[in-house]
Amino acid sequence: MPDKVCLQPCLGLRKEAVLGRQALYVVHEDLRPEVTVLGCGPALNANVQEDVDFINMFPVLAVEACDKDCATRLVDKKGKAAARTVRVAELAEAEKIDLSGLPEGENIPADHPAVQAVAARIAAMVDELLDGG
Amino acid sequence: MAEEHEFKVAVLPCNGIGRLVSTVVRVAAYKLKKLRPEQVELLSCGRLAVGDPEHVELARKYPIMVIDGCRPHCASFMADELGKTPAARLYVADVMAEKKINVAGEKRRGLTPKGEKLADALAEKAVAEVDRIIADEMLSTL
Repeated sequence: MPDKVCLQPCLGLRKEAVLGRQALYVVHEDLRPEVTVLGCGPALNANVQEDVDFINMFPVLAVEACDKDCATRLVDKKGKAAARTVRVAELAEAEKIDLSGLPEGENIPADHPAVQAVAARIAAMVDELLDGG
Repeated sequence: MAEEHEFKVAVLPCNGIGRLVSTVVRVAAYKLKKLRPEQVELLSCGRLAVGDPEHVELARKYPIMVIDGCRPHCASFMADELGKTPAARLYVADVMAEKKINVAGEKRRGLTPKGEKLADALAEKAVAEVDRIIADEMLSTL
C-alpha cells in the first residue's frame, strides 16, 4: 500500500482550476497533511527533481479543471500514469455547487463552502488510493 | 500601418502551486489582465506543457513575457521548450528586492494586504513591460 498520494492539479487560470487548487491546499494542509504531497505542474515539466520524485514514488491523483486533462497528460509526458483523474466540475456537480456563482479571474478563499466541499471529496479519494482503491 | 496589426503580449505566469510566490504570480497575472484586458493573453502553463494547440498558437503568434515565481524558472523553461525567446522576463524575487516588500508569514492559499502589495508591484512591473513590448512592436511596423 502507498503511504502518500501525489495531488497533481491542472494549474490553469479559469475558476475551476482555482477551485481545484484551493481545495488541494485544504486537503494537503488541513485534511490529510501527513499522507499527501502537492505536485507542481510547471516544476514537473521542468524536471525539478522533487516533483519528478513525487510522481515516481506515489500514486497520482490528477485534479482537472476541464476535459483537456492537462495534469493527467503531463504525468503521461513524464512517463507515468495517473492512478486517478477527477474533474472539478464533476465534483462540484456531485456537491450541487453552482459554479456560475464563483468569481472568474481572482482567488477563491480557502474557507469558501465550495472549496471545502470539493476538498472533502478529494480527501475521500486520497483515502481510497491509500487503501489500494 | 499600425492599425492593421493586433498588438498583444502572451503572458506566461508560472502559476505553480508549491510556494507562496506561486500565489503571488497568479494573483499578479489576474491583476495584469484586468489592467490591460485588450493587450494581454494569459497563457496556461498546463496547456502549454502538453502542447495544447490553442495556447501554442498564442505563444507563437505574440511576443511572450514570462513571470517566474521561484528558482527553477519554470515559465522560462517552458518558453525555451517552445523555442521562443521571451520579450521580457519578470522574477518575483527581483521585484521583492527592488520594492523592499517583506512577505514573511504570508500563506500560499490566500494573500493578506502584505502579499497583495507584492502582487500589485509585480503587476505594475508587468504592465510597464507589456506597454514597452507593444510600443516596440508598433514602432517596428512604421
